Amino acid sequence: MITIWMHRRRILSLTLFLVLALIISLTTPSLIAGNKETIHIRGSGSTFLQLQLMAWITIFHKVRPSITIEYNGVGSGAGQQQFFEHLTDFCGSDPPLSHKTWLEHKGRILQLPIVLGAVAVVYNIPELKSHRLRLDGKVLSMIYLGEIIYWDNYYIKRLNPGISNLLPHAKIIVVHRSDSSGTTEIFTYYLHRSSDGLWPKRLVGKDIEWPVDRTGRGLGGKGNAGVVSIVKNTPYSIGYVELSYALRYGLDVALLRNRAGYYIEPNTTTIIAAGENAARTGLLPISPTGDFSKELEAIVYSPGRLSYPITCFTHIIIWAKYPPHKAEAIRDFLSWIISSGDKHILPGYAPLPGPVKGIIIRAIELMKSGG
Amino acid sequence: MSRHRYFKDKLFKIMVFVFAMAGVAPLFAIISAIAVNGGKTILSVGPGFFYGLPSSPLSSSPGGIGPALVGSLILMFLSTIIGYPLAFMTAVLAVEFPESVFGRFIDVLVKSLLEIPTILIGVLVYSLLVVPTGSFSAWAGAIALAIVILPYIYTHVENSLRSIPADIRLASYSLGLSRAKSIFYVFTCEAKRGLLTAMLIGLARASGETAPLLFTIGGNWFTYFQGLGKPIGAVPLLIYTYTLTPYTNYHEAAWGASLVLLMVYLSLFAVFRRFSKP
Repeated sequence: MITIWMHRRRILSLTLFLVLALIISLTTPSLIAGNKETIHIRGSGSTFLQLQLMAWITIFHKVRPSITIEYNGVGSGAGQQQFFEHLTDFCGSDPPLSHKTWLEHKGRILQLPIVLGAVAVVYNIPELKSHRLRLDGKVLSMIYLGEIIYWDNYYIKRLNPGISNLLPHAKIIVVHRSDSSGTTEIFTYYLHRSSDGLWPKRLVGKDIEWPVDRTGRGLGGKGNAGVVSIVKNTPYSIGYVELSYALRYGLDVALLRNRAGYYIEPNTTTIIAAGENAARTGLLPISPTGDFSKELEAIVYSPGRLSYPITCFTHIIIWAKYPPHKAEAIRDFLSWIISSGDKHILPGYAPLPGPVKGIIIRAIELMKSGG
Repeated sequence: MSRHRYFKDKLFKIMVFVFAMAGVAPLFAIISAIAVNGGKTILSVGPGFFYGLPSSPLSSSPGGIGPALVGSLILMFLSTIIGYPLAFMTAVLAVEFPESVFGRFIDVLVKSLLEIPTILIGVLVYSLLVVPTGSFSAWAGAIALAIVILPYIYTHVENSLRSIPADIRLASYSLGLSRAKSIFYVFTCEAKRGLLTAMLIGLARASGETAPLLFTIGGNWFTYFQGLGKPIGAVPLLIYTYTLTPYTNYHEAAWGASLVLLMVYLSLFAVFRRFSKP
């Protein structure tokens, strides 16, 4: 019996230790947090937007310590769902709301384009060295359909007359995303728009069956990081990634032919130009209460000499009405983005052109007047 | 002839040693990679890494993991407190009442929980708890984690209860102890080591899971603990998010956070070893 008692005492003290540890871990942080005046704003959605928001929030938090903004990258679709379930105060979404969803919530929600992004076509051809490869929608479509097999193909040579003798007779390794992704959706949408129907409509989406995989030259990478590492380590490969990844890992980025016929490199100027020209098409609403579902049509393969063709907006979707303290906090954050956000844009992202910023200013006014 | 057999024996011993080393080598490789890379981060940031807030991708500093670390500790203990009693009683049912219909099936049922992708458990708790209550919460995360770790704890508890020698069982009953008393006074003491290991396994699994937390805890980066009914942060979520970004300072922070998780686990391990000494 004595040994049993001793064992029990040990077990007892162990439980005590666990309970104590729990109590300590429960109480200390609430003491640290202290300030009860803090207003918490919660959002979720696009992982692409998450990084830009992290850059903004860390600085905004220092400017306005009484407002805490939490954002989690769960994907645009899940973000929209959580927002409409009222689990979050706002959502970040790469695509705007579909026409159907917009009709359902018309008048109660505001959609704000918040930052611009771009998809870069990256390649690994050691022979080219510092020469830049030029591509257009038709040739890219043929590569991703599996119809162009070698890098020294006639169509590729025709677009690159200056370096046609440098292009090797090597098989093209075609890299795409293996996971469902908004990047794939925008890239395939661009192929469809820019190839005169060579890339069929049924092959536009987040997760498609890649025709090139049937030839055995297709490879899937998980996430942007997965595609980057395959392209970086596989000579004669080609892939598409968010521009920030291409820049960060120093991959060669192709110049793409835009609608006006110029070969354009993705950078801040050409991305903003695409945004500006998209606003001129008339397909974009001028009010945050409007229907943005035609937006991709406006910005992907948009007109204008300088426009980079695979550009897209990322959005913040908010309610028109909030409890007063929340409304004020969200207005403060949006005003700060308008006034100081441009100074803290991540490489690979681009600030909004003036006319589109007007949508955010209008949203702030609408929220002030109480929706 | 005997020489021949001598060499065969030596060869076998060497092979056993080499294969055993090859088996544990990946583990040491992982631990040393975490220790070296994570150590660099923690040394460069200093103690602020443990209580600081995340930094911007534009900054060169890895920032801190404060809210996530506090959140993870709370989730670990809370999920084990919820999951352990459930797993323990389930194991008792399976081991002590094997002749009952329920007792026969429970083993298969609980072990089949292992096969369910953990993200589904997160989605289940999301639709059953998060959506109806209208908020992400530490509770939701802890319950999802408890379901995930339940089969692991169960398996260990069940094994250690089964390994109790029959004569000890008989001795206990022959003293006139009731079934409940036998279980709680005699069997638990006899199987103490295994039961504590089961708890450790539970805590360790709970500390490293990401998927069940994605849709349940909401995730906090800048906010410390506010209550069990409120959203909370977690280290695995932070590591998951950081490693998928292209930014060096976030990769460094992820290494540092991995080392912190490893240290939490090792210190728990040390404490449990101390308590489970015979």
